[in-house]
Amino acid sequence: MALAILSLLGLLVSLYMLAHALGFTGPVMCGLGDCETVQNSRYAWLGPIPVSGLGVVGYLALLGASLLGLQPSFQHSRAVPVLLLVGTVVGVSFSAYLTYLEAFVIHAWCQWCVASAVLMVLAFLTSLPEARSFRSATGA
Amino acid sequence: MSKQKGGGDLRRFYIVFAALALVGIGAVGYSVGSRALGGAATVPLALDGTDDPHRLMEMAVPVVDGEETAPITIMVFGDYLCGHCATFSLRERPRLLTEYVRTGKARLVFYDFPLNPETGTFLAARAARCAGDQGRFWEFHDQLYRSQITWGMDSSKAGVFQKYAEDMGLDADQFRTCLNSDRHAMEVSANRELAVALGISGTPSVLVGTGQGMSRRVRDYLYETIREAVESLLEAQG
Repeated sequence: MALAILSLLGLLVSLYMLAHALGFTGPVMCGLGDCETVQNSRYAWLGPIPVSGLGVVGYLALLGASLLGLQPSFQHSRAVPVLLLVGTVVGVSFSAYLTYLEAFVIHAWCQWCVASAVLMVLAFLTSLPEARSFRSATGA
Repeated sequence: MSKQKGGGDLRRFYIVFAALALVGIGAVGYSVGSRALGGAATVPLALDGTDDPHRLMEMAVPVVDGEETAPITIMVFGDYLCGHCATFSLRERPRLLTEYVRTGKARLVFYDFPLNPETGTFLAARAARCAGDQGRFWEFHDQLYRSQITWGMDSSKAGVFQKYAEDMGLDADQFRTCLNSDRHAMEVSANRELAVALGISGTPSVLVGTGQGMSRRVRDYLYETIREAVESLLEAQG
């Protein structure tokens, strides 16, 4: 449940940043840091794809998987915890790369990117016990 | 019993989840809607601390052409819908660049001074700086002056600026994002405040100085007049 809530929050953050990247919003609401510098940097896009678009896809996948895992028919499925663990590991790795860019390349921080990174780390930490308990259950 | 309890938990979770999703989607939708009401900064910001000249000088950020070490600084305050500014930028400035800036004798420092910001000149100043983010400030600056009548009379100025950016081969998405935000609004606002603080009431206004102490206002913007002022300063410096 916690993972689904975290994925939803991450999805909303990514959606907001995607709307901004595509020019559908006004100035980014940025109480902390310098969001415009980060969002206007060349690192905000991976070729023709806005990085926030990848966030939307990633969080949607996590949200879908975590909601699926809540269904009674999937509660004993091995695939869902593994999928969530793999997904959050990929997400944390990508967030770490983006955080590195903010700190050492762009030299500016965007509160939304930081929020997304924190949510992804929390999602990873949340997915760990479930994957571990599943492993111990199958190992026993 | 426990199955019932689990079902109840799940139901409660779905209610919280749906409420959160609705609030979140509403917030994102609101920010998208606010763009339709005009998300781009089109008028100067109210800045704090502009009463302090030193603070104002720090906040004002000109666009500089030339070497930092050049002994003479030519400060220009320009408005993008001013006809004389277009004459200065397209006719007089190239001569100054050839004679003084490219030879390292002077540097040209441009300050935005949107006289009537709501007519689109504030947005134009920001657009030029958005192009500057991609290293093409001066090209965009000249384009704005070349086509003053076109964009000045167009009701969709942001659309025209976007087209100029695309015609120049700029990264269209980056430019759009910049223009549809408040990026550079602070610099342009501060530059405008600086002009007012210096008692400048018209454009183009040209000041020439050594970069230390007061700069001297040149009586007009013509190359010959500016040349005279620059030469006398160079002579005084030996």
